[in-house]
Amino acid sequence: MSMVRLNGVDLHVEEVPAEGIQTGTAVLIHGMTSDSMASWFLTLAHPLAQTGLRVLLYDLRGHGHSSRPATGYSLNDFVGDLEALISDHWQVDGPVHLFGNSFGGTVAFAYAARHPDRVAGIAAIESAPPTADWFRRMGSKLARVAETLADAEAVANSRPLVARRVRAASELLAQTSVGSELPLSVLPAPELIAGIRCPVLCLYGGESAVKELIGETERLLPHSQHVVIEGQRHTLLIKAPSQVQAHVASWLSASASV
Amino acid sequence: MPSDQTAVLADVDSMLRGVLGDFGPDAEIDRDTTFRDDLGMESLDVVSLAGRLQARYGNSVNFAFFVSTLDVASVGDLTVGQLVDYIAESLDKVPAAS
Repeated sequence: MSMVRLNGVDLHVEEVPAEGIQTGTAVLIHGMTSDSMASWFLTLAHPLAQTGLRVLLYDLRGHGHSSRPATGYSLNDFVGDLEALISDHWQVDGPVHLFGNSFGGTVAFAYAARHPDRVAGIAAIESAPPTADWFRRMGSKLARVAETLADAEAVANSRPLVARRVRAASELLAQTSVGSELPLSVLPAPELIAGIRCPVLCLYGGESAVKELIGETERLLPHSQHVVIEGQRHTLLIKAPSQVQAHVASWLSASASV
Repeated sequence: MPSDQTAVLADVDSMLRGVLGDFGPDAEIDRDTTFRDDLGMESLDVVSLAGRLQARYGNSVNFAFFVSTLDVASVGDLTVGQLVDYIAESLDKVPAAS
């Protein structure tokens, strides 16, 4: 297991080398609370490497095997970690493809708003750019999850097979400021988000409420593509990886030929 | 000559115990042991196991690719025996050094 220390935290990183001649670099970013790099590693990481991308993964601060500081969970903290990983640790030259699941997609959009020329494309799953509406929704979701997980032992005992992951999510919410800090994040100005010019693909589950944000994302990013996959929920990436992969593959080859 | 399944199983046993640490099973790990129900493996443990297999066998055993061909739910249904067979098969494909 590889750990890297930056911005005062230890981050768990992994890499899947490109197969054959490297055509680009992809960074895969997972979602909030009970998610980790595993949801990418077990789904798209290897198919993407087979297409010639150098695939880079990490656990967000507070998640997976990365360390869990008591504070430091604003959007800027997460974007700062991604900046440090890409430029200092992985030392990527040239623009990267960013893949984000849920909140991971939001980190990708926020990074691209800061560095539009350093991003080759964004594929966001069940996600949205960092807008006030989206952060309100994430804030109330975090509060609901915190309430559900408040009695971690009861949850763990009722579902022993997910005991450790539930406990980790519960500790993140109970022992850190993420629930109060993240919803109060300073968001990028809408014109900075609108300055993202790279190809953008957004995938949604037909049964999830996140697709209600399509209109706002289209207003900010008129060139973005949106696909709703029927019958799927917020767990789209891990429940329907082959459908996600198919959409990503055709989007990648279309954007490469532009 | 086929790779020694007993030796591979012993390797896998120690790697799994390394990954699971304090959460590892008290009982013996055998071919019928399942990842999720018997070992309580979570998805991130599978990532760690892939790293240990890579360190032990190098590129001749691409477990990470193997799991990406399964859906996430069936990774939990994997048995130690299936993993041992996959490793042994992969090692047998490696041309002999001589």
